[in-house]
Amino acid sequence: MNRVIVVTSGKGGVGKTTCTANLGMALARLGRQVALVDADFGLRNLDLLLGLENRVVYTAIEVLAGECRLEQALVRDKRHSQLVLLPAAQNRNKDAVTPEQMKKLVEDLKPKFDYILIDSPAGIEMGFQNAIAAASEAVVVTTPEISAVRDADRVVGLLEAQRVEKMHLVINRLRPAMVQANDMMSVQDVQEILSIPLLGVIPDDERVIVSTNRGEPLVLAEERSQAGTAFENIARRMEGEKVEFIDLNVSQDNFLTRLRRLFLG
Amino acid sequence: MSADSFTTASASTASESIPEMVPAVSQQNEQVQFRTEAGQLLLVLPAETDPAAGLGWSDLLQQLQQRLSAGKRFWQFQAPVHLVVANRLLDGRQLGAIAESLAAAQLQLKRVHTSRRQTAVAAATAGYSVEQDSPSALNQATAASALADPLYLQTTVRSGVEVRHPGTVVIVGDLNPGSAVVADGDVVVWGRLRGIAHAGAKGNRQCRIMALQMEPTQLRIADQVARGPATPPTQFQAEVAYVTPGGIQIVQATDFSKN
Repeated sequence: MNRVIVVTSGKGGVGKTTCTANLGMALARLGRQVALVDADFGLRNLDLLLGLENRVVYTAIEVLAGECRLEQALVRDKRHSQLVLLPAAQNRNKDAVTPEQMKKLVEDLKPKFDYILIDSPAGIEMGFQNAIAAASEAVVVTTPEISAVRDADRVVGLLEAQRVEKMHLVINRLRPAMVQANDMMSVQDVQEILSIPLLGVIPDDERVIVSTNRGEPLVLAEERSQAGTAFENIARRMEGEKVEFIDLNVSQDNFLTRLRRLFLG
Repeated sequence: MSADSFTTASASTASESIPEMVPAVSQQNEQVQFRTEAGQLLLVLPAETDPAAGLGWSDLLQQLQQRLSAGKRFWQFQAPVHLVVANRLLDGRQLGAIAESLAAAQLQLKRVHTSRRQTAVAAATAGYSVEQDSPSALNQATAASALADPLYLQTTVRSGVEVRHPGTVVIVGDLNPGSAVVADGDVVVWGRLRGIAHAGAKGNRQCRIMALQMEPTQLRIADQVARGPATPPTQFQAEVAYVTPGGIQIVQATDFSKN
């Protein structure tokens, strides 16, 4: 059923790469063949989050230039052999590839993988256009801040215009206590503006920073964390499972989001 | 009639923003438009005037896509579309992209009207019938004498999107923050109005802005500007904004219709 999903947000620093790494790992742990494609040419980070930096030999650029085969550029994960990474070049910029080339790369990857997750760069320029060119679905990541939501809204519009119509929302770095104190946008507030189906809510968690620095995705940590569980739940929802939203102390909100999901499908 | 707690911009603010609004008016026709004329569905692309200021190809395609998906329910299955491109230069690939977008909405590109020889050749090569109109005839066809037909869009108008129309605009959906609707007639939002709405953009002060839930960033009617209140109300009712001698006023829709 191989699905090509772009992970995007518009605004930078909201957790696109963290989401891509964790969702990819979680899907691999569910037994899926997963390819992660770093489309952030010139500012690649995905290899760092996965702890695979020292295994990168070739990048997408060499594949496109015909200097190596696609298989040679794919970096297999050291913990889960079902997960591979196609790294971006660090010494080029976003104009080094075209949307057509990205489409071709993904087409070549498609037959061998169940999921292809494309990590989009921030912004809506060429890099973003490249990242979404090959995708048929999108995961839009936002944080509960008006600037992030505003940018996400713009991105949803652009995705619609590019006929990427299957879109899901991930709200990252939610702080339930702040929401309850009315100091932060709630899940409902964000959904009201973006009006796309909710895939998951990830609570703000210091362990995300630790895991990033260690190159060890949170879903692999032995000590369970709410954020790690949230990522796992998202992966299971992507697999079509119905998973309850974790209770982040916002019980009323949860009930409403569930109701909303019921109506919005 | 009770006025809402709505900040009307002071006279100086209003006059300051007038120069800002003038270029907006002159760009009025620079958007993709669907029109029905003599029973035929026309897709009119904006003329290419100044290549620097004009609408780029990717923006144009994006606009077309948005209009298509916002009118989804109304397109008749496999209806033939006449593409009116005036003096815009289109190559075979671009014509193909337009046809593909139309086909995705179950519409069929049939005929291309153009004043450019190259576009005509490209269209003929791609197998569409071509009408090479003289520029003057096309200008007459596109020059809107009175208000155009209302534009009805069923969509969420998202941040960064600007809808311009030389007539009344009806949005069935939300007008999100960061978006704008500029209409020569009324603006009706059957949903939440959170962006910028400009009614009577050509200067008609009789025009109105109506919304089920008014939380605008800014309201503009003709040359008047008003900001939303600093603290948004907690309860919403359908409201109407109109121009009074004292500036833009908002009243509940139920009170307005009795007036």
